[in-house]
Amino acid sequence: MLSMQFNRRRFSRYLLPVLLVVVLAHCAHGDEPQQFVPDFRHDVIPVLTKRGCNSGGCHGKSTGQNGFKLSLLGFHGDKDHAAMVQEGRSRRVVTGAPGLSLLLRKATGEVPHGGGRRFATDSEDYRVLRQWIAAGAPGPRSDGPELARLEITPGRDVLTPNSQRQLSVVAHLSDGTTRDVTRRAVYETNNPEIADVDEAGLVRTQSAGGLFAVMVRFGEQIGVFEGTVPFRRTEGAATSQPKADLSEIDRLLWQQWERLGIEPSLPAGDAEFIRRATIDICGTLPTPQEVTEFLADERPDKRARLIDRLLERPEYATHFALKWAAILKNRGRGYSTSKQRAGTALFSAWIRDSIAENKPYDRFVAEILTATGSQQKNPPTIWYRSVRTPQDYVESIAQAFLGVRIQCAECHHHPAERWSQADYYGLAAVFARIGRKRGFADAEVPTNEIIYVKHKGEVRHPRSDEVMQPRALGGPVFANSAFDDPRRGLATWMTATDNPFFARTMANRLWGHFMGRGIIHPIDDARSTNPPSNPALLDMLAQDFINSGYDVKHLIRTITGSRAYRLSSTPLPGNQQDHQNFARYYPRRLTAEVLLDGISQVLEVPTEFSGGPGKFPAGTRAMDLPDENVPLNFLDVFGRPARTSSCECERSDEPALAQALEIVNSAEIQRKLTAETGYIAKLANSDGVHVDHVREMFLKTFARSPRDEELKIAVEFLESESDRAEAYRSLMWSLLATGEFMFNH
Amino acid sequence: MLKVFGTPYRCCDGIRRRTFLQIGAPLLGLGLTDLFRARAEASPQSRKTGGKSLIVFWTHGGMSQQDTYDMKPDAPAEYRGMYMPISTTAPGINVCERFPEHAKVMDRLSLVRSVHHENGIHAPSAHWMQTGYFGPTLARNAAKHPSFGSVIARTCPSRTPQLPTYVTVPKSEAFGYQGAVYLGKAYNPFEVGADPNAKDFKVPNLAPPEGLKLDSVANRKKLLKTFDTLRRDIDSSGVLEGLDTFKSQALEMVSGEEVRKAFDIGSEPAELRERYGRHQYGQSALLARRLVEAGSRCVTINTGYWDHHDNIEPGLEEHLPPLDRAIGTLVQDLDERGMLDDVLIYCAGEFGRTPLINGHAGRDHWSNCFTVLLGGGGLKGGHVVGASEKHGGGVLNRQVIPLDVLATIYRAMGIPLDTHFQDASGRPVSIAGTGKPIRELL
Repeated sequence: MLSMQFNRRRFSRYLLPVLLVVVLAHCAHGDEPQQFVPDFRHDVIPVLTKRGCNSGGCHGKSTGQNGFKLSLLGFHGDKDHAAMVQEGRSRRVVTGAPGLSLLLRKATGEVPHGGGRRFATDSEDYRVLRQWIAAGAPGPRSDGPELARLEITPGRDVLTPNSQRQLSVVAHLSDGTTRDVTRRAVYETNNPEIADVDEAGLVRTQSAGGLFAVMVRFGEQIGVFEGTVPFRRTEGAATSQPKADLSEIDRLLWQQWERLGIEPSLPAGDAEFIRRATIDICGTLPTPQEVTEFLADERPDKRARLIDRLLERPEYATHFALKWAAILKNRGRGYSTSKQRAGTALFSAWIRDSIAENKPYDRFVAEILTATGSQQKNPPTIWYRSVRTPQDYVESIAQAFLGVRIQCAECHHHPAERWSQADYYGLAAVFARIGRKRGFADAEVPTNEIIYVKHKGEVRHPRSDEVMQPRALGGPVFANSAFDDPRRGLATWMTATDNPFFARTMANRLWGHFMGRGIIHPIDDARSTNPPSNPALLDMLAQDFINSGYDVKHLIRTITGSRAYRLSSTPLPGNQQDHQNFARYYPRRLTAEVLLDGISQVLEVPTEFSGGPGKFPAGTRAMDLPDENVPLNFLDVFGRPARTSSCECERSDEPALAQALEIVNSAEIQRKLTAETGYIAKLANSDGVHVDHVREMFLKTFARSPRDEELKIAVEFLESESDRAEAYRSLMWSLLATGEFMFNH
Repeated sequence: MLKVFGTPYRCCDGIRRRTFLQIGAPLLGLGLTDLFRARAEASPQSRKTGGKSLIVFWTHGGMSQQDTYDMKPDAPAEYRGMYMPISTTAPGINVCERFPEHAKVMDRLSLVRSVHHENGIHAPSAHWMQTGYFGPTLARNAAKHPSFGSVIARTCPSRTPQLPTYVTVPKSEAFGYQGAVYLGKAYNPFEVGADPNAKDFKVPNLAPPEGLKLDSVANRKKLLKTFDTLRRDIDSSGVLEGLDTFKSQALEMVSGEEVRKAFDIGSEPAELRERYGRHQYGQSALLARRLVEAGSRCVTINTGYWDHHDNIEPGLEEHLPPLDRAIGTLVQDLDERGMLDDVLIYCAGEFGRTPLINGHAGRDHWSNCFTVLLGGGGLKGGHVVGASEKHGGGVLNRQVIPLDVLATIYRAMGIPLDTHFQDASGRPVSIAGTGKPIRELL
């Protein structure tokens, strides 16, 4: 056995090249019918891609599968050719006897294959591979035409539910020729609830209405089909509502609703609105007094006035600083908080002050990007503490400010976008000259470093080893010399009024904050294959934001001033099924900090935070905390982000048992319910009447008065219990545990 | 946000797993409601089909393989250590003389003596062994991948809906690598939070807080039902309904019987409690058995600190006997109850310890070649996989990587190895990666 193996190896090593020449020569007039010779890149690899051979779960993963390794999705054809033709003791591709090639025998299941049977011997895929092998398995042609673009027909369409639409895909090559690759392309829908697509490019809509996109991939190119499936029109759809003096936002939404046959919900009531806006802007609950005054206010523009008032409150800055501190990874976790807290506190305060003074967003970002110096003199240098590797730079910049997830391009061409490794490392090169001095390395990363720009520093392309020029994503090369910090070039490019990403990302982020969902969703995943639900609306918001000089408060006023923001969350039959078009307010659970602070506010007992040097001052709220390294199980289970990612998705609203246990039997809530100085003690010790107390409890928690029935049940309960304080505690708890309290709606 | 790829399969409770996981994706507008419905629909069947569970003894700090499962009696004294091997019910497998209970059941357990990874620091190594992947480089860096316990929790729901699927006893290890990370918080372990050997052992999270009486809990439950009137159809993401379900579950856990019973170690016969040993190891193992019996899928016992750099002898004298009692009795107990084929047992830590005894009569960190113990759950017993070199040190043959061990566990539990989950950036990450199940044990 052993000697045979040796023989075979020797055979392949020494004899095969000779044989190959013979076979190749033979092949030219061989038995195989003389047909077209499949092109390695444009014919062969697409078969492997289509059949999943080079997918990330199979031979395309970085370690290959059972010794056979292909590049992910065929992005590196030259390597794949070697893997198929030269490696594997040349058994994978046997040009002299194509039918004996392992490539074919495995894929057809003729010999056992971990991946099962991928295609049949009578399939088109088999014929392509076989012909290519028979033709001598030629490698990728260096002089061959490049794939220039894909043309998807139709590019967009309006479909009815339960219908079909065949897509057609034509590849345009750089030599001007075209070829139909409909059967070779790979298809993927982003919304299988609305429409499915099969491997031949046949789109089938389901019974639901809505928007969907089908990503089409062939070679390194991607294309997209955008489908619209109108809802079945119900009585009283969009058209029946008044259309006079609509804001631009509402006009664009309205068009969409009409197109899709969606009916907007009724306007939210005043009580609903003040709770909603106060939570969304300030992260706090309105007090009973604020609610009462607002309800009594009869001025027609009282909602706009409320927004203005809220934007001037310090809580607005604190609440949004919390959001940005997570995006900017102002992270405190490490061995020693004492050394880190100084930095996180400085950065957190800098963010808060920037928001409070309404610093134009372009300046805010530029000051972070180009920061140098010490944390004391220039707090945004703290950003460089958590963001310190090429990966961190690229991914943070792309995701936080450009709304693009480019992570895939670190190791290979992005499978769903145009980004290549050159884009990735070009952006990384912008930060190649970041220097760090001093720093105290007692934590997971050094603290208190001084950030400066070095004279030298480079980033190399991991495959070609070429030194990368600092370059914008799909944009220009930045000046890079002793006198030019390429980061300035990046900041200038990013904040230019014609930048395709910057303003849109922020407009989309804030839209998502207030409307519960981005126009592009998820908010930081902009790509052609994930189109905005309402492109005109996003364009309009971005342009308006640019025109305002990147005025964030203006953007918030524009969004919250729309009728759409003021719609009820209660669905109507005409919008019940829609989740993408903002025809009602989408409720969401209060974030961890807002929820905890809300409970403290209602019960009038602040949380006692520990952790780090000393104690936080009495009355500190969760949203005041400078970093996430303040241990509190409540905050963690309700989704406080660890600040390790620039993705807002790190803040989770996913329900979990641990959350429910925190509500049901946490010692902290019980402490707040029983505190001698708290609200419950006040109620229990007062000689006021139950009815008044219950009214106030409802105003505090829900910003509304109890309904008659609720009032009756509550009072009856209080009267029936002998322990007055415990009765109030139970009643109060039951209000705090409701969906109505825990959600903004 | 969470999407899973892989072959559709039936796992644990008979729901088609891929469907189950996909409908959990709020992205699709379907959400957790359907997940619960799916779970509820499947549950009658699940009680019959049973499914497998895992009990883990996590030797935090790193247990010395040379003094326990991979003895080198013929090595020079500075390697050999102070113990002598004893023979076991598995011909040819010898273990430490402090492991007499192991010796009685070694025919049911197997040893993998050639586990290898490439880090010698506690935290990154713990991440490696818990998740299968190298991740953070320093203690307290955030976890990058989900622990195997969370993968199990995500793919195999508990057979009793109120009962936590994944439990750590008494709590999760200090580095924070026993969590779910991008699988979602719902799959983090439930920490028992108390020593099961304590006289008045009570699970803090299940006991109402100080001063709250069960009557009040009942009142609260009733009142909540009255006032929780927000229309459920306003939220299509599933968060509201999901939280509802968990609230009922939590109230049930606090005031109901089923879960309390599962944790009520006091209802075990005193004689059996003695057999397991009246120490944290033994009672934790007994609690773990109760929990998997009631339907939990993964119970990880984090007990003891094995980082014996100095004076290893007193350290081992303290830890070996109770670990021995716990594992040995657990195997026998499971066997007597006919559960051994349904419950996997796994004993491992982040690494082993240096074969050469150091100048402080201790052993240091050693990840080049160390031993893990696997058994039950249908795995073959009485086998030794791989071997270390003459004096320990390196792998002599059959190197096994952490992902191989996890792949073995997943395979034994019926979780397809091509299951992928998306990390926060949307990249699909395989649960088993390059790991291959250890064929010798399957």
